[in-house]
Amino acid sequence: MDGSASVALPAERAVGWLASTDHKRTAAKIAVASLFFFGLSGLLALAMRAELAQPGLQLVSDRSYDELFTMHGSGMIYLFLTPAALGLGLYLVPLQVGAAEVAAPRLALGGFWLYLCGGLAMYLGFLTDSGAGSDTWTATIPLSSSTHSPGVGMDLWVIGVALATLGSLLIALTILLTIVRLRAPGMTMLRLPVFSWTMLVTTFMVLASFPVLIVAMGLLLAERHLGGVFAGSTGSIAYQHLFWFYGHPVVYVMFFPFVGAVAEVVATFSRKRFFGYRALVVSLLLFTALSMAVWGHHMFATGAVQNQYFSLTSHLLAVPAGIEYLDLIATMVGGAILFRTPMLFALGFICQFLIGGLTGIVVASPPLDYHVNGSFFIVAHFHYTLFAGSLFGLLAGVHYWFPKATGAMLREGIGKLSFWLLAIGANLTFFPMFLLGFDGMPRRVPDYAPRLGDLNLLSSIGAGVIALGVLAFLANVCVSLRRRVPAGDDPWGAQTLEWATGSPPPRHNFDSLPPIASYAPLLDRREAREGAPA
Amino acid sequence: MSTRQDFDGLFSLYLGIGIAVAVVVFATVAFVLIRYRAREGRVPSTRSEANTLEVGAAALIVAVVALLLFRTFSTEAKEDSSSAEPVRIDVTAFQWGWRFDYPGQGVSVVGNSNDPPAFAVPGDRPVHFSLTSTDVIHAFWIPEERFKRAAIPGRVNDFDLTFETPGGEEGLCSEFCGLRHSGMRFDVWVLSDESYERWMAAHR
Amino acid sequence: MSRGSAPPLAWGCLQLLLGAGLAAFSEFVPALLFLASAAPVLVLAAWNRARPAGGEPRLLPAISVPVVVLAVGAALAALGLTAGLWLSLVGAEVALFGAVWLGRELSEERGRAP
Repeated sequence: MDGSASVALPAERAVGWLASTDHKRTAAKIAVASLFFFGLSGLLALAMRAELAQPGLQLVSDRSYDELFTMHGSGMIYLFLTPAALGLGLYLVPLQVGAAEVAAPRLALGGFWLYLCGGLAMYLGFLTDSGAGSDTWTATIPLSSSTHSPGVGMDLWVIGVALATLGSLLIALTILLTIVRLRAPGMTMLRLPVFSWTMLVTTFMVLASFPVLIVAMGLLLAERHLGGVFAGSTGSIAYQHLFWFYGHPVVYVMFFPFVGAVAEVVATFSRKRFFGYRALVVSLLLFTALSMAVWGHHMFATGAVQNQYFSLTSHLLAVPAGIEYLDLIATMVGGAILFRTPMLFALGFICQFLIGGLTGIVVASPPLDYHVNGSFFIVAHFHYTLFAGSLFGLLAGVHYWFPKATGAMLREGIGKLSFWLLAIGANLTFFPMFLLGFDGMPRRVPDYAPRLGDLNLLSSIGAGVIALGVLAFLANVCVSLRRRVPAGDDPWGAQTLEWATGSPPPRHNFDSLPPIASYAPLLDRREAREGAPA
Repeated sequence: MSTRQDFDGLFSLYLGIGIAVAVVVFATVAFVLIRYRAREGRVPSTRSEANTLEVGAAALIVAVVALLLFRTFSTEAKEDSSSAEPVRIDVTAFQWGWRFDYPGQGVSVVGNSNDPPAFAVPGDRPVHFSLTSTDVIHAFWIPEERFKRAAIPGRVNDFDLTFETPGGEEGLCSEFCGLRHSGMRFDVWVLSDESYERWMAAHR
Repeated sequence: MSRGSAPPLAWGCLQLLLGAGLAAFSEFVPALLFLASAAPVLVLAAWNRARPAGGEPRLLPAISVPVVVLAVGAALAALGLTAGLWLSLVGAEVALFGAVWLGRELSEERGRAP
């Protein structure tokens, strides 16, 4: 920060934050906004679990419950995890590639504001007569037409989703342009850090799939106001094709940046460079290309898609996923592993995402999917991948890069406490859901058969534990910012370029760059200075 | 072989492989964390590539995937075969209930979330269902048969089920369809041939 | 070839391959969707190859209020599609104002470039 900040008027400081072209500030705004939406959507989840703790309808009405799960899912996907993934990339990619700024910083700034306006519009639905969106995060036709879901609240949802998605698309575009055009001299594509590679392939998926959702939302709005867009059964199926063409890649958009963060953390805390870089690059390209070709597996039970094609492509995802797991574990082999908080969250990701991923292979099989789709089994599957997986990966990244972004270290003790609370909470909440779904509990219901009460109670208790974990994390952030422990440039002994500058980095990111001969330039520099290790 | 048996066989394979993979990964991670934890004098290795290992691992996964796909495709082929069997039931889903018609038999059962319907099927014989909806997309799910299919307005989905265990089974809507989605239940009575004929006669 | 173009080009080609696979299973409309989605990535690869990144420093303002105005205006105009024509008109005006202001900011920058 330059000295002028301390004498600026409050209004100038506010404008300086809200309209800054600095990619680090835009990313910080995304972080704050996505945390806000996480909090709102998380509270909705707590309300849902409070209702589901016992059979019968105790706390909310049928209608309110529909709004709760719709806005919980929509908020978490459109407004929290997707923007957070892209925001992490927006902050780190210019630093990792040695650039002074992101390419097209105004595009990123505009994207943030579109996303924020979209998110606020969606939640504004709660204040309307018709209530907030209540047709699930997918808004399937014909349920989401104006015949079955009239009202402004649902319209606000549709437009809000389109705006938030457009904003995310613009942010992803700037990240892609930065990697392709602004790498420092010496940083060839095969010297790009692992996290930046995962961001690159993420932006490919965004560019290919997000426009389709925006079109789908536009057509849905036209259907609601003019009618005749999605007519008959071909219309409903067509909507599902359009939606899921986006709906599958987006879950990988919410995965790859976080597996990249985990990869950086594992490498740093094993004191080794990441293993199997070239194999990883190939598997990332294949994985993300393949992820665009699996969307029909969400439609197996409709009987209206080529089950064999989509089952084949869905099963094949196991191959690149397996390579990535191999590389992560091999990075730790032969290392000198330090169990700091970022590493704990990374290990949590590795173990918990696996459960989500393996159950994903189960539902890649149509005969198996026919039973568990639309049930709590699927709810467990995607919460293991997105919460116990991606969110843990995000927290690994946050704990790792927080000192870089703020100049202050997070507390280890509270960090470890928050990890254990979240890990215990996540498994307590979501594992019983596998059993509930298998035993016949459909999703999106506020009430269920009495025999399912015990597992539901267990799950709801788990949700309470998660809430405590989140509070512990927030407390950690507050305490660490108030009573700062200075971090210095490179508190972890890390490997990539963002650690070769100040914490936080200056406006122009770098005063000078070390030589770049691999994807771990700082490790190279350390090894050269110390001489090759025995 | 009923749908349920097909499911159970296939699911055991997937579950078995899944558990085996999870155990191997967890055990490996635990071993690695203990063996390679930072200790006094521990110098990390600089090995960062083993392409033969990567290719070998990929080949192994492809082999497992091929096995799973083969079993999946053969199971799926069995289920998709619709045949013109004597017992036919037309199922119509609507907001928020179900209607079961036995075409040509003069039997029709209808009910909603206030008064869920129950229909009967004979055991150990294929029952051919023709499923549709009159308003939004619903889904016809009988958990104990391990099967569901979507009920889509303007489209008829045909499938066969063979019920083996006599008694009552619960049915649910498993595609969110609006306000009373959670109440959209039905019951299936799996009866012996004689009881089934008596039930049919009683409902004509 | 500009090295940066290689990954998007490779990825776009994988998309075309997978789309062809889908067409072979005779799901024509989804296949079309697939092939169309490869377009933005391939266009980007081609554009990057045609206009390689220069190495010169660019002039950039620390803040850009017009972008915020343009974005918020566009959002309001979109929301007007349900809230009413009045909001769409207000939003469009705000967006236009922001766009013109942004245009001036950009041309000033070019005028002052070293």
